[in-house]
Amino acid sequence: MSGAPTGADAELFRKLKVLVVDDSAEMRRLLKALLESMHVGEIIEARDGAKGLDAFAAHRPDIIVTDGAMQPMDGYEMTRRIRAATAGESANPDVPILMISGHVGRENVVHARDQGVTDYLPKPLSASVLYEAIVAAVSKPIHFVEKAGYRGPSPKRTLEARRPDADPLS
Amino acid sequence: MIERRSTSRLAGAADENISPPDVRFVRVPSIAERKLGADYVAPMRLDPRVLDQMQATIKSLESRYAEALKAQAAMLRVLVEPACKGDAEARGRIYSIVHDMRGLAGTFGHPMLGRFADSLCGYLEQSEIVEWKEGAVIRFHIDAIYDALENPAADPTITMETLNALERLVTTAARSRRRIG
Repeated sequence: MSGAPTGADAELFRKLKVLVVDDSAEMRRLLKALLESMHVGEIIEARDGAKGLDAFAAHRPDIIVTDGAMQPMDGYEMTRRIRAATAGESANPDVPILMISGHVGRENVVHARDQGVTDYLPKPLSASVLYEAIVAAVSKPIHFVEKAGYRGPSPKRTLEARRPDADPLS
Repeated sequence: MIERRSTSRLAGAADENISPPDVRFVRVPSIAERKLGADYVAPMRLDPRVLDQMQATIKSLESRYAEALKAQAAMLRVLVEPACKGDAEARGRIYSIVHDMRGLAGTFGHPMLGRFADSLCGYLEQSEIVEWKEGAVIRFHIDAIYDALENPAADPTITMETLNALERLVTTAARSRRRIG
């Protein structure tokens, strides 16, 4: 993905509302600053999965960026609950959920996918990986499956952690 | 917001005589399409100026993070003895600190420190209480983290050898635990 940016891109980012869920204050500070650099219009913070669920219901974010391992509720369980909500009970179960995690082993990525995570970003986080993931989340049509107790990305699709060293502009 | 949705033919939604399938496939317009409507021009481009601004943001936070990192490394040294003597709160704080380091140190230009923290995190995530009491693997990791912070210009070959040695220690400890178990 490369080329001249369009005017609509900047306008879109100003209209975006992103929920950041992480138990590390330093990580939340970093993510907030990076999202502000992207001109994201509204950023909401929560410090664990349970508070993330509350913020999700209260603020109707367009995108969630979440840590994986948190206490008392982790990002996997938060995702599972969001995807398990039926229409009307939840603010937006189709919301793209980007998980940032230091656990990039196959087992962890598959577990994240099975809970309904949309994209998996490795730690340490790079600016390019976050930017690319956010652009993908906002610009791609959302395909999801709906079945009893689940509404989200297909658990059968291939999901791999993004590669930290790839240059998205080349 | 009204969502425009289309179900695939697999869903069988067009024929009411067919009982609904267990799984429906749904397409929702992208966030960009919903927010911008006709103004949306696909595909969206990555703007090099935004990426530059994001890199500058990381740079601007580096000095603040360096201070936090120093304080965290010092705290690890304070916490390690009580943790190995059974202090549950000290153990929790050690894990929380190295978990933070694993996630952030690499982003702020301390990749090796991040890898030491990653190795220690991995060890703690599978560690039993008895191994806290032995403590050698934990102490070696904390020393390596401290050294990496104090001597950022250290020979990378030696630093990598240290990491390899620590990872071997973790592997040996895991094998020995499996034998005991």
